[in-house]
Amino acid sequence: MNKKQKIKRSQKILCAVFLAAAVICGGIGTYGVAARSSESGSEILSDMRLQAILDTAGTGAVDAYVEAARAEATAKAREEGGGMEAIREATAAAEEEARALAEEEGIGSVDLSEIDTQPLAEALNVYVAAQEAYYDEEAAAQERYIEEHADELVTESAEDLAAESEALSAEEDLAADGGDDMGADIVLEEETVDLSGFEATEEMLALQAEADTAYDGLCDEIKKIFPALTDEIMETLKTTISELVVQQGDTFETQYDRAIAQSGMNPGLQGMIMRHGKTLAASAVGLVILAVVALFYTPLVKKLGFPRLLIGLFYILLCLLAVIYNLSLPGQISNTLIRLGMNGVLVLAMLPGIQCGISLNLGLPIGIIGGLLGGLLCIEFGFSGWFGFAFAIVVGLAISAVTGCLYGMLLNRLKGSEMSVTTYVGFSIVSLMCIAWLVLPFQSSIMKWPLGNGLRTTIGLQTTYRHLLNDFLSFEVFGVTVPTGLLLFFGLCCFLVWLFMRSRTGIAMSAAGANPRFAEATGLNVDKMRIIGTMLSTMLGAVGIIVYAQSFGFIQLYQAPRTMGFVAASAILLGGATTARARISHVIIGTFLFQGVLTLGMPVANAIVPQSTISEVLRIIISQGIILYALTKSGGENRG
Amino acid sequence: MDKSRIRELARNNIVTIMFVVLCAVCLIFSGYSPSYVAYELFGRLSRNMFIVLSLIIPIVAGMGINFAITTGAMAAQIACLLVLEWGVPGIAGFLVAALLTVPLASLFGWLIGKLYNKMKGQEMIGGLVIGYFANGLYQLLFLFIFDNIIPINNPNLTITGSTGIANTMDLSREGGIASSLDKLWRLPFSQAVLAFAAVIAVILVIGYVKNHEKNSKRLGIQLGILAVAAAVCQTPPVKEVFSMVNVPMITFACVAVLCIFNVVIMRTKLGQQFRAVGQSGTVANASGINVNHVRIIAIVFSTVLAGWGQLIFVQNMGAFQTYGAHGQVGLYAGAAILVGGASVVRATNTQALVGCVLFHLMFILAPAAGKNLFGDAAIGEYFRVFLCYGVIAVALVMHAWSAGAKKKKRAKEEK
Repeated sequence: MNKKQKIKRSQKILCAVFLAAAVICGGIGTYGVAARSSESGSEILSDMRLQAILDTAGTGAVDAYVEAARAEATAKAREEGGGMEAIREATAAAEEEARALAEEEGIGSVDLSEIDTQPLAEALNVYVAAQEAYYDEEAAAQERYIEEHADELVTESAEDLAAESEALSAEEDLAADGGDDMGADIVLEEETVDLSGFEATEEMLALQAEADTAYDGLCDEIKKIFPALTDEIMETLKTTISELVVQQGDTFETQYDRAIAQSGMNPGLQGMIMRHGKTLAASAVGLVILAVVALFYTPLVKKLGFPRLLIGLFYILLCLLAVIYNLSLPGQISNTLIRLGMNGVLVLAMLPGIQCGISLNLGLPIGIIGGLLGGLLCIEFGFSGWFGFAFAIVVGLAISAVTGCLYGMLLNRLKGSEMSVTTYVGFSIVSLMCIAWLVLPFQSSIMKWPLGNGLRTTIGLQTTYRHLLNDFLSFEVFGVTVPTGLLLFFGLCCFLVWLFMRSRTGIAMSAAGANPRFAEATGLNVDKMRIIGTMLSTMLGAVGIIVYAQSFGFIQLYQAPRTMGFVAASAILLGGATTARARISHVIIGTFLFQGVLTLGMPVANAIVPQSTISEVLRIIISQGIILYALTKSGGENRG
Repeated sequence: MDKSRIRELARNNIVTIMFVVLCAVCLIFSGYSPSYVAYELFGRLSRNMFIVLSLIIPIVAGMGINFAITTGAMAAQIACLLVLEWGVPGIAGFLVAALLTVPLASLFGWLIGKLYNKMKGQEMIGGLVIGYFANGLYQLLFLFIFDNIIPINNPNLTITGSTGIANTMDLSREGGIASSLDKLWRLPFSQAVLAFAAVIAVILVIGYVKNHEKNSKRLGIQLGILAVAAAVCQTPPVKEVFSMVNVPMITFACVAVLCIFNVVIMRTKLGQQFRAVGQSGTVANASGINVNHVRIIAIVFSTVLAGWGQLIFVQNMGAFQTYGAHGQVGLYAGAAILVGGASVVRATNTQALVGCVLFHLMFILAPAAGKNLFGDAAIGEYFRVFLCYGVIAVALVMHAWSAGAKKKKRAKEEK
């Protein structure tokens, strides 16, 4: 390739425009973020807060004043001996009068500029600090609680889900027989622990008391402004005020928005900049990246391919959005790491298939079922821990080696149309196994339905090897939990495959896949090589599902394995593989990108549109779109 | 007929024969009365036949089973939504929906055709993936674009308390198009048979008059068989079996018209081009046919027809799952036509119709038979899903097998 690639003029201009916009955004944004902690900036927020609080308190004061007037009027009317009618009339009249008077005298409204806000602001700040400390402690305590009770949830939710799917399958005809649901495998992960049993810890109570004292101090200051306020009213106003000032999981933006909404003040340009400072700064980063992409568009597309570039940019966009919406990035990164290790081996299973010339192994469910059987046998015999895990893998490998060999022999007779055949062979075997799950004579009560026949749709692994790899040697850096064991295992698998690919057999296999005729001419047994590749792919599928299940915490039966081949295929294609060529780096990059987009996409989409399934929809579009793209690239040529 | 020919016939139709046997076994063990089975079967046939027939043209044009007809179903459902939104009731609404389906499905078909041209030889897996991909776009459309960007004013259509289109689309409300086509003209089974026999007789006579050969013997045999069949259907035992059946005449007439269309189009120039492209792309190209263009036309036809088929389906059902009704269309239709003895390169009307009958017979019977045989309805349920996929897998394997064998044979002959 020519080193000095020509960059078009339009690209240069576009780049310059993006850069200029980035500089402007970045400048303003940095200023905005800096202004948040500066004196004039904090004054704006503090002023708005005070105004809001005083407004609330003022309403309380008016109410108190009116209430007093009413009581007086009622007493007076009763003294005069009037009937109910008269009393009511007198009260109403008094109320109206009092309200008018209050408005006239301005009991309920105070102009900030007229009073000395200094002591009030100080009291407020003390209160805010105390309340924030309390909320921090509460959040931490709740997190601990959730962690402690996660195990209970696992069993409960699995049962709920199983019951649901049972009910679903009973529905006829309309409910799309067979339950073809591309997104079913994700539902489980969104469960939350029920917090109703949560009780305040001692630290929380202490902090709560501190916050209460601070609130009393604030009340004293407010009472100086509104003499009409009583302690009782202040007590009833407490929740309103505390919610107004600080809430759990608050950020600068939400506090700011609340203060504006409550006070009705116009904070001016500086306030605006402060509010959107972070957004602007993040967009500046995005614009810089866009500028770079615009400048080097052609070489980038050539190197990465259009879809990978697009998804890569999309991933960066999601990261920026996560920053803007204040989602905890370390948490998301740990999730991504876990899912990388969790899905990595399944994606790796695609590699030998592609290399040996059977193209995308969409019949991966065949291997997956071997792994599932291994896991089930492990539960059935009551093995647990490392031995159980190893046992499951060995059994899975044994079963999938046999099925993989048969499968490879079938594929050798169908050169050229492997993909469509393997998909449907995989599908039909999955549905055949559905019947098998119902009739196989497993005895363990963990796996069977409490009523009726057959195995559950999801089987919890708490008793055997749940999170065995995840927790092995795991440590925390900057809030990011690194699942060392899981990543090590994935790395080991990658390394072994890498070694194999460099061995004599591996090289011969790649040669057979790349150019079968040439390979035949040089004396290689192409059919045998294809069988080896298919077997390896199937066996990796078996190991992959065991790793997946230990990380997920469940074994999923019935329809669940059916679409896993598609997910794995789209991941490796996303990493840059084609239907005829793949490398280990494609596996790692692809899995990371794919799972990264998924893990980040969900919370970001929920932050933008609450309660939406848009991330799920995006997942379908991305994963199927990438396969489609690869197919259009591979098509036209006739292989074999 | 000598033995080897029978054996070959059996080998070619192994799937169909297997299915006949399976259906017979299931019929015995299901415990359903014949009249109930006939009733259920006719209901299913009236709503499913049209879609199955829409698969024929792409098969003839050499693109295998067009699993992307799900997009046609999506087009029909979009049209349905719009008709409900506008509140066009009854048969008028149905016709408007059918008209709307045409441009939508044509657009989808054109795009799919373009994609298929880029992945020649991989159309079937491509069609499946296109179906999944389009499902994602469809959800995007129904969950986030309708009711947000495009306002929907009919409150029955949207999710209450959130945005997006409701999970179930009920066509039987006032202003809906439920069974608008079916209820135009219904007849009891025996009379319906007479009506159809009469129409077929007229067509045969016209064919005889127009034909130059004037093969009066053949005409006589055909008319005779027809008359006997019609007469048998008037006998009390047969009448008893079909006593619950109320034939929606117009729906079946649509199916009949489509069958005739499939025959007629193959005799036109376009039909010849379909065949030529299907037999060999390179030869067709050499003889001056624009192969890519013809393939796109075939897919457009298939998609539009599938859209109409889905309309017939939903008006018969009276309601549909907004996010699930299209999902299995391609799978079921593909499996049905293969059950009838079609392969991925050869399909006829008869195969489609026979396949449809057998496939849906199995669908009705399998759960009950599973329950009676194994004590669990779920087994029958899973068994029929397995059959769907299995039938397609077997058909694909057999096709790839025979294609490979042919290739080897040719290679040997060349040597």
